[in-house]
Amino acid sequence: MDALIAKADAIRPVTKKRRIHQNESQKKSGTSRPGPSDDRTLGSVSLHTALPKSLRPTSPPPENVPKYGHIQDKKLRAQLTRQSTQSARSKALVKDAELLLTEEAGLMEVEGDVEKTWRIGQNEIVQAAGQEAAQGRKEWKLDGGPYRSRYTRNGRHLAIVGRKGHVATFDWQTGTMHAELQLRETCRDITFLHDHSHFAVAQQKYVYIYDRDGVELHQLKSHIEPTRLEFLPYHWLLASVGNAGYLKYQDTSTGQLLVEHRTKLGAPSAMTQNAHNAVIHLGHANGTVTLWTPNLPHPAVRLLAHLGPVASVSVDPSTAGRYMSTAGQDGLVKVWDCRNWKGAVRTWNARGGGGEVEWSQRGALAVASGGSVNVYTKPSIQTPLAATVSPPLYLTHPIPHRPLTSLRFCPFHDVLTVGHNAGLSSIIVPGSGEPNFDSAEADPFENKRARREREVKGLLDKIQPDMIALDPEFVGSLAPEPKLTTAVGGEPDVPFARLPRLERLRVQGKADEKEDGDEGLVDDDDDDDEAAKKRPTKEEKEKKKMRGKNKTLKRYLRKQRKNVIDPRALAVRAKLEKQREERRKARAAAAGHAEDRKPSALDRFGRSAP
Amino acid sequence: MTDAYRNPCQKISVLQHAPSAHLPTRPGDPTPTSRNLDPLQHPFARARERMRALNAAKMERIFAKPFVAALEGHVDAVETMARKPDSLDMVASGSWDGGLILHDISRRTKVLHVENAHKGKVTGICFADSDRLLSCGVDRNIKLWSIRPSEEDMDEDRAGPSTSRKPLKVFPGKSAFNSIDHHRSDPLFATASNMVQIWDETKSAAISNLTFPTSTETINAVRFNLSESSVLASIGSDRTFTLYDIRTGKAERRIVMQMQSNSLAWSPTFPTTILLASEDHNLYTFDIRALKTPTQIYKAHVAAVMSCDWAPTGTELVSGSWDRTVRVWREGAGTQPEVYHTKRMQRVMATLYTADARFVLSGSDDGNVRIWKAHASEKLGVVTARERAAIEYRESLKQRWKMDKEVDRVQRSRHIPRPVYKASQLKRTMLEARRVKEEHRRKHTRAGETKPKAARKKIVIAEQT
Repeated sequence: MDALIAKADAIRPVTKKRRIHQNESQKKSGTSRPGPSDDRTLGSVSLHTALPKSLRPTSPPPENVPKYGHIQDKKLRAQLTRQSTQSARSKALVKDAELLLTEEAGLMEVEGDVEKTWRIGQNEIVQAAGQEAAQGRKEWKLDGGPYRSRYTRNGRHLAIVGRKGHVATFDWQTGTMHAELQLRETCRDITFLHDHSHFAVAQQKYVYIYDRDGVELHQLKSHIEPTRLEFLPYHWLLASVGNAGYLKYQDTSTGQLLVEHRTKLGAPSAMTQNAHNAVIHLGHANGTVTLWTPNLPHPAVRLLAHLGPVASVSVDPSTAGRYMSTAGQDGLVKVWDCRNWKGAVRTWNARGGGGEVEWSQRGALAVASGGSVNVYTKPSIQTPLAATVSPPLYLTHPIPHRPLTSLRFCPFHDVLTVGHNAGLSSIIVPGSGEPNFDSAEADPFENKRARREREVKGLLDKIQPDMIALDPEFVGSLAPEPKLTTAVGGEPDVPFARLPRLERLRVQGKADEKEDGDEGLVDDDDDDDEAAKKRPTKEEKEKKKMRGKNKTLKRYLRKQRKNVIDPRALAVRAKLEKQREERRKARAAAAGHAEDRKPSALDRFGRSAP
Repeated sequence: MTDAYRNPCQKISVLQHAPSAHLPTRPGDPTPTSRNLDPLQHPFARARERMRALNAAKMERIFAKPFVAALEGHVDAVETMARKPDSLDMVASGSWDGGLILHDISRRTKVLHVENAHKGKVTGICFADSDRLLSCGVDRNIKLWSIRPSEEDMDEDRAGPSTSRKPLKVFPGKSAFNSIDHHRSDPLFATASNMVQIWDETKSAAISNLTFPTSTETINAVRFNLSESSVLASIGSDRTFTLYDIRTGKAERRIVMQMQSNSLAWSPTFPTTILLASEDHNLYTFDIRALKTPTQIYKAHVAAVMSCDWAPTGTELVSGSWDRTVRVWREGAGTQPEVYHTKRMQRVMATLYTADARFVLSGSDDGNVRIWKAHASEKLGVVTARERAAIEYRESLKQRWKMDKEVDRVQRSRHIPRPVYKASQLKRTMLEARRVKEEHRRKHTRAGETKPKAARKKIVIAEQT
C-alpha cells in the first residue's frame, strides 16, 4: 500500500492540484529537473512520446504573444498560449508564402515627364504583349445593341446580352460558344450563377435562368420587369432589382424567394455588389446610393451621392470593398470611402456625362463616358483631394459607338470589356488583373471534375443569408455583452443557484472580464496605469453618455453638420464654446487653484500696486 | 510574361498565364494547383469556415450509429462480464439463469456455453489465466473452468452449447458470493460475500478472511489493484469503500459515503485512481491518497449506476445504469457523456470496454450482451489517408468552433428516451430547488451560521483507518 502511494506520488497527475505533500513538491521544484535516469518508466516513455524532430517547430516562438498570466487554470492558459502562438506563427508564415506567388502583374511605364502612359494606344500594347495576352484585344461587331457583359468568377467565360434580345455565352479564350439565343424581347442584364453552367437573364417581364446550353430552366415570376442582376456566389443568392423599385433575393440552391425589399426610391439605375461583404449597392434616380442586406428591411446606408440620377456604382475589390465609386448623370465621377461617408474622397468631371465605372481586381478604375474609356490607377484615385480635378490618366481608348453601356474587367487577365451600341470591344489594360489565382477559389484552368467538385463544395459551404452584414468579420468574434443582466450592482435578485455561470463568477469576483491578451500586449506598469487613466470605465461612459447642459443646442449643431458656413450655426457654436469655458473656469475655481488673470487696464486703480 | 521594348522609353508587359504551368502535362496527371494566401482572394473565409464546422458537427451526429451487434444466449439478465486478459475478442458473461458464455466478439459466436454453471445466478466471473476461468454464484460455490475446447466440442462444426462440461475444480464456500477477482500474478483470488476472502487455487478452503474490524456488511464487489497487486478494494452494502492489503491481511482504510456503491474499477493507467458507480446516480473517481473528496463527479444518469469500467487507455469510462442507458465519459469531464440506448435494452447490469478501447459492451436485464462503438461516429473498417485527413480536419474545425452557439448546440444534442429525458428534467428541477432553498435558509439565518458546502465535500461522510 505504501509502496503504491509512493510510486503514485512520483508520477502525480500534473493537472491535479493537491494540497497534500505540498512541502515535498516545493522541495522538488527547488532541485534541478530530474534526469531521465531518475525514473526508468518516465525515461522509457519520454523517448517514444516526444515529438519527432521533423515535426518540432523550427522557427523560434514569435514575440508579442500574450502571456495570459491572469488566468488561473493552467490547462486553459496553456491552451490559449498555444493558440495565440500558433496564430502568430501562421501569420508570419503567410508572409513567407508570398514567395510562392510566381506570376507577375502586367504593367505599363514610361520614362520622363513628357511621355505619358495614356498616349500609348491599344495597337502598341497588343504589339508589346505576348501571343496569349494579345488575344484579349477583341472587337465583337453585333447588332441589337447596346450590349452588356459579365465574366465568370474565374474569368474564363463571358456572357453577353444585347438590348434587343441577343444572348450568348462563350469561353472567350478558346472561342468555344456555349449558347446563343435570340430571345426577341428586351433584355436588360445578364449574370452567370455560381459558374458558367447556369446564367440568368433579366428579360422584358421576368428573370429567366438558362443552363450552359441555353435551355430555359426557370422563369422567376416574382422578379417583375428586372433591370439589373447580381449573383452573390458565397451565399448562392440571385439579387434583382426591377422598375418598380423592389430588390429581390432568390436563393438559387433552394429556389425560394428569400426576401424582397421595397426601396421606395423608384427604378434603380445602377446596381453592384461588394464582393467582400455581399452588400448590394443600388444607385437611384434621385441621386442616392443605398446599401442593402437581406436581413434589414431598410438600407444599411443611404447616401446622397449625386445631384442627378446615379448612372453607375462600383466597389473596389483590391481594398476589400473600402472604396466605392459612383458616376452620375450630372457628369461627375466620385470616389467614396465606405468607412466614412462624409463627403467623397475625390470628385472629378467626366466629359460626356452619365458614364459607367468599374474597378479592377488590382484597383484600376475604368470610367466610360461620352465616347471613350479612361482608366485611372490606384494611389491617386484614393488620395483625398478637395478640388474637382481629374486624377492622372493611365490609359484611354476611344470608342465611337455611343452609348457605352457596360464595363467589365476580366478577372485574372488584363482585359477590359466595353459594351456599346455596336457590340463589344475588349481592350488590354496592363496591370489591371490579379496575376496569381488561388485554385481553391477560382481557377481559370479548371476541368470538368474540378468544376463539379467546386459546385458541391460551394453548396456545402453556403453561407446563410442572414450572415450578410456590413462588417463580414463579425463571425466568430465575441458577442457584445447583453444589456439586460439580472445582477444589478452585484446584488442579484435571483438566487445564486439559479444564476447563469458568468454571473455567478461575477458575483464571486472570479469572472475574468478582460479581453484576451489585453494585458499581454502592455508590458510595463506605468504604461498600464496611463492607459487605465485614459480609458473610462463602463460606468463612466454610461454616465457621460448624452449628459450635459443644452442638449437641444447640441442637437441643432449635429443636424447642421455640413460643409456650409452658416452664421447661425457659428453663433451657436461660439455660445457653446463660451459656456464650456465658463464651466471649466468654475471647475478650476472649485478645485482651489485660482486663475491668474491677465493684467487689465483697471488694475492700476486697485489698492495694492501690481 | 513577355516584355517587348519597342520604344526604349516605354515598358509594357501584359499579364498572361502560361497554360503549360496550369494544365497537366500528360493526360491522367493531376491538375496543378496554385495558391494565393492573400485574404483578398478569400472573401468570407471565416464565415465559410464556420459553415464547414457546422457541417462537420452535423455530419458527426448523422454518422453517430454506435450499435454494432447484440450477442444472444442468456435466458435471464446478464449480471457480470469479464474480458480475457491477453486477447482482443474473448469476453465471458454470466447470467441470472446460472449460465456462463464465452463470446468471441469479433466473430460474434459462442466459444463456450455452460448452461448450468451455477444454481441461481452467476455473480462474478474472472479469468485465472489465458485458458481458465473462475466463476462464483449465489449457490455458495466457486468453480474453475477450462476454456479450451473439449473433445466432444471438436466434433461439431462450431462451438455450441456444452452442457455436459464439468468444472476443473469447485471451491465450496459458506455464504453466497457476490464478486470475484483474480490476483494479477499469483494463483490467488479474492471473493466477496459477507466478508472478503482470499483463496489459493490449489487449496479448497479460503486461506484468509479480511474484514474491517467494525463492519457487518455484505461486500458487493472486490477488485485487485492493477499495479500494486496485493492491494485490494471492496465496496459494501453499508455504503463503505474499503482498501485491504493481502500481505498484511488487514483492512487499511475505509470511507463511508452518502450512498452505497454498486461497482468499482481501478484505473488502468493511474494506479491510485479508482472509479465507483454509486446508487445516487453519479460516478466518482477517487485518488486513494486523499479519500476525503472525490477527484471528479460524473453526473448524468437518472437512476442508480449499476456498473462501470475504464477504457484500457485510461482516458475514457463507460457506465451502465438502472435507467436503461449506457454512457461513455471522458476522464475528467463530469458532464455531457455520450449516451447509448435502444428500445429493447433494459436495465444495464454490466459494462465493459474491449481491450482495444474501440468498443463497449453492455449486458442488460433482457439477457443480451450488446456491442457498441466507443466513439459513436467512428467509421469501422479501412480508412484511407484522404479520409483520415478529412476526419482530422473536421475534428479540428469542431474544436476550433466549439464556442459557436450553433455548432455547440449540434454537438451537444443527443436523442435520449423520453422517460430518461423527463426524469433528468425533474431531477434538475428538484436539485435546483434544493439549492435555492438552502440559499434562502442561509439568507434568513444568522450570517455565518452555515456555510455552503461544495458538492465534492458532501459525498464522504467518514474516513476511517
